[in-house]
Amino acid sequence: MIKPAGSKLGVGLSNSIIKIFRILRQEFLFKLNFWTIPAFLIGLFIFIPMAEVLSSLTTYSSNWTHLKDTVLFSYLSNSLILIIGTASFSLIFGVSCAWIVSNYTFRFRKILEWLLVLPLAIPTYISAYAYFDILELFNPLLIWIRTNIGFEIMQLVNNSLVYLVTILVMASVLYPYIYLLARASFIRQGKQLSDAARTLGHNSKSIFWKIALPMARPAIVAGMSLVIMETLNDYGAVKHFGVPTFTSGIFRTWLGMGDLTGALRLSGILMLLIFSLLIFEKKLRSRSKYHEILNSKPSSEKKLLNKNKSIIAICCCSIPLVLGFFIPVSRMISWAWISRNSASDLDGIELIGNSLGLATITSLTIVAIATFLVFSARYYKSAITYFSNRLAILGYSIPGAVIAIGILLFVAQVNHLTNYVLTGSLYLLIFAYIVRYLAVAWQPINAGIESNCDSLNHASQTLGSSAYTSLTRVNLPLIKDTIITAGLLVFIDTVKELPLTLILRPFNFETLSTATFDLSSQAQIAESSIPALYMIMIVLAPLIFLNYRLENIE
Amino acid sequence: MNKLLTLSNISKSFDRDRVHALKKISFECDKGDVISIVGSSGSGKSTLLRIIAGLEIPDKGEITLDGNLINDNNTFTSAEKRDCSLVFQDFALFPNMTVIENICFGKKAANNETLIDELMEFTVITDLADRYPHEISGGQQQRVALVRALSNNPSLLLLDEPLSHLDLELKDNVRNELINLIQKVGATVLMVTHDTKDAMLMADKIIVLNDGQIDQINSPPKIFNFPANAYVARLFGKTNILPREHFPDISHHFFDLDFGKDVVSIRPHELKIVHKNVDTKIPTIKGKVVSVQSLGSYSEVLLVNDEIEVSANIENDQKIEIGSQIILTIDKK
Repeated sequence: MIKPAGSKLGVGLSNSIIKIFRILRQEFLFKLNFWTIPAFLIGLFIFIPMAEVLSSLTTYSSNWTHLKDTVLFSYLSNSLILIIGTASFSLIFGVSCAWIVSNYTFRFRKILEWLLVLPLAIPTYISAYAYFDILELFNPLLIWIRTNIGFEIMQLVNNSLVYLVTILVMASVLYPYIYLLARASFIRQGKQLSDAARTLGHNSKSIFWKIALPMARPAIVAGMSLVIMETLNDYGAVKHFGVPTFTSGIFRTWLGMGDLTGALRLSGILMLLIFSLLIFEKKLRSRSKYHEILNSKPSSEKKLLNKNKSIIAICCCSIPLVLGFFIPVSRMISWAWISRNSASDLDGIELIGNSLGLATITSLTIVAIATFLVFSARYYKSAITYFSNRLAILGYSIPGAVIAIGILLFVAQVNHLTNYVLTGSLYLLIFAYIVRYLAVAWQPINAGIESNCDSLNHASQTLGSSAYTSLTRVNLPLIKDTIITAGLLVFIDTVKELPLTLILRPFNFETLSTATFDLSSQAQIAESSIPALYMIMIVLAPLIFLNYRLENIE
Repeated sequence: MNKLLTLSNISKSFDRDRVHALKKISFECDKGDVISIVGSSGSGKSTLLRIIAGLEIPDKGEITLDGNLINDNNTFTSAEKRDCSLVFQDFALFPNMTVIENICFGKKAANNETLIDELMEFTVITDLADRYPHEISGGQQQRVALVRALSNNPSLLLLDEPLSHLDLELKDNVRNELINLIQKVGATVLMVTHDTKDAMLMADKIIVLNDGQIDQINSPPKIFNFPANAYVARLFGKTNILPREHFPDISHHFFDLDFGKDVVSIRPHELKIVHKNVDTKIPTIKGKVVSVQSLGSYSEVLLVNDEIEVSANIENDQKIEIGSQIILTIDKK
């Protein structure tokens, strides 16, 4: 019998609805317990600040028409230019270095492979301060253009230079995200496929473009989305170079113009943009199927380069490294030396203590929460818990400034309802870090439990042991290393964090990042290099440890 | 009452109802039975086992174990509270625990020390007690997984492809060990396998699962000789599915959708060559030989005529040439 298409669609839809109801019914009847209920609620609670911002899109704002007519477009276009530029340069730096160190062997390769990660220790705003005077180098050129060509051309050139410098400064410290993921992917691809391509008559160049690069695409795209998120999150660098982006616009609207609703509206739009980017990326990935080859031997044989090519390889790998690490660090060391006396009123010990303490507590808390959430959802295969946790980890893609506004709004509502004042407490700051960095721990722990423990959990379930026993005797011992890695990643991110700390810290509470920012915004760039160097040193130790572990695993 | 496990109308679908893994599965299992569920991959047999173990919730249906309702629309006894143990295809031994720690991990294992000692001795793994899973061979891992499951003293033992991870040489030995062990403890066993040979050798009863539905439940010889349909017949070895009108004498027949009529299943070894001067009452198949493949003690001969294509196993002492005309007859009632 031929049915009209409409009724077929209707039947499909009603089937889906029945199925969803059946799943929800099973969730509520069989899967609610002392693990899944708290995990579900924690997930929702962490999502609250983001929900606050999103819901503000529908509220009325008196200044909004003004903002929309004057600055919205320039925030949007400036942010887009920065994203595209930074992502492109990071891509070039990251992928080319990853390809060189994972496929060729030459003098200093080992040390370069290892050094290339170091720019991760430098937050974008510190790199920007280190290059604060770079634009002045172009002044003679600009003056020459003004006198010989014209004022408008000079302005154009000046603007382009500002963008180019900002983009380069950011890309040179953000490219390691792409480098790390691309390198891991190139190594995992193994020799088998490239050998097959070679026997079919392809040379290295064509293997790179036709096989290695397409296969590494998911990893590279993942790295690029990290770069994009960090670019959007940045406040210090764009403020320093005077590029009005969404994030700096939010700060300006809120703190400069005292317009909280306007800032909220801007944040909401930025969040919508980010979510659509995330969905677009997901669609892109699900349409193309790229499989990692499992059980393929990692390629250990690397092609030996001759002397001339070795020099080229070394130069290629050195460019981002020098730009992103050696120049900023050496400049800061020299400034720190110059200002060693004038900065004596800076209490280094207290700053270090604050940063270290805050980051340690935050990473321990986040790791504990992430482990609990992942375990509860996976052990009981609870769809609603997993869903609420997915909402909770969205915070990683949202700029700190937006999260801070969401949290302040939430705090104001709590205050209104209970008269309880939370603002300016360390708990609130730690909560903000949890909202922002939960994903940093959740992702690796989720992957770790999925690959190491899911089937073992089934075994321990059928052997009659409780969830607690499974967690402590099977899961925790097996993912111990993953948990340490996750904790260190959170630690690094928290020490470097600026916008959230700046907005939500208690009165008179300074960390290394806020001290650096405060000093440099008072034009004491030289003095700001001292806390900046402390910060880099604190971050370098776990970073080197992580890098070492990563290489051993590979 | 002797019934240990009863399933009625178990259904499960995945991917928003697009994949029907199981459709209204019902069967019973008596105490002491060794039942094997066979089917090609994707037939839903592993899903069925996971549902019985409590690792998956069915969409509909009821399960009773040892007189207790463990699963229906409003009841779901979680895996850790069900009185059954599952031995996983990849054994799922905890890599961070030694052999003995793995075996003693089960909730009820602590009370069963004598049983554990006996089982470990019987399976010759007592000396391996302090080794880690990665330090012992595949066959030994298999035994550890079995002992771990049995140490919990389950009323029902579930095995998921118990022999598929072992190489051929090891497989025969382990299969025999497994049969001995099951007989020794008198366990009730439900085993999923895609290897019909394992099912034939180990089970009292075989359940054939095809595309989420039960095609046949019967003892191994009955399934082999009297398959319910062409799928079952082919699953248990090479066979010729031929229209019944050519062979009115064969009593076991079934309807086949592809042919659109009643058919019979004749296995290649049930055919033999006859010469022209035999009794004309016996049904025969005449045809031209299109291929002969020697397989050691016999040859596989493919015979074609206007209506059908037949494969027969002919002993090697009879010389057959491609293109020659031969006559086959059936050695089966």
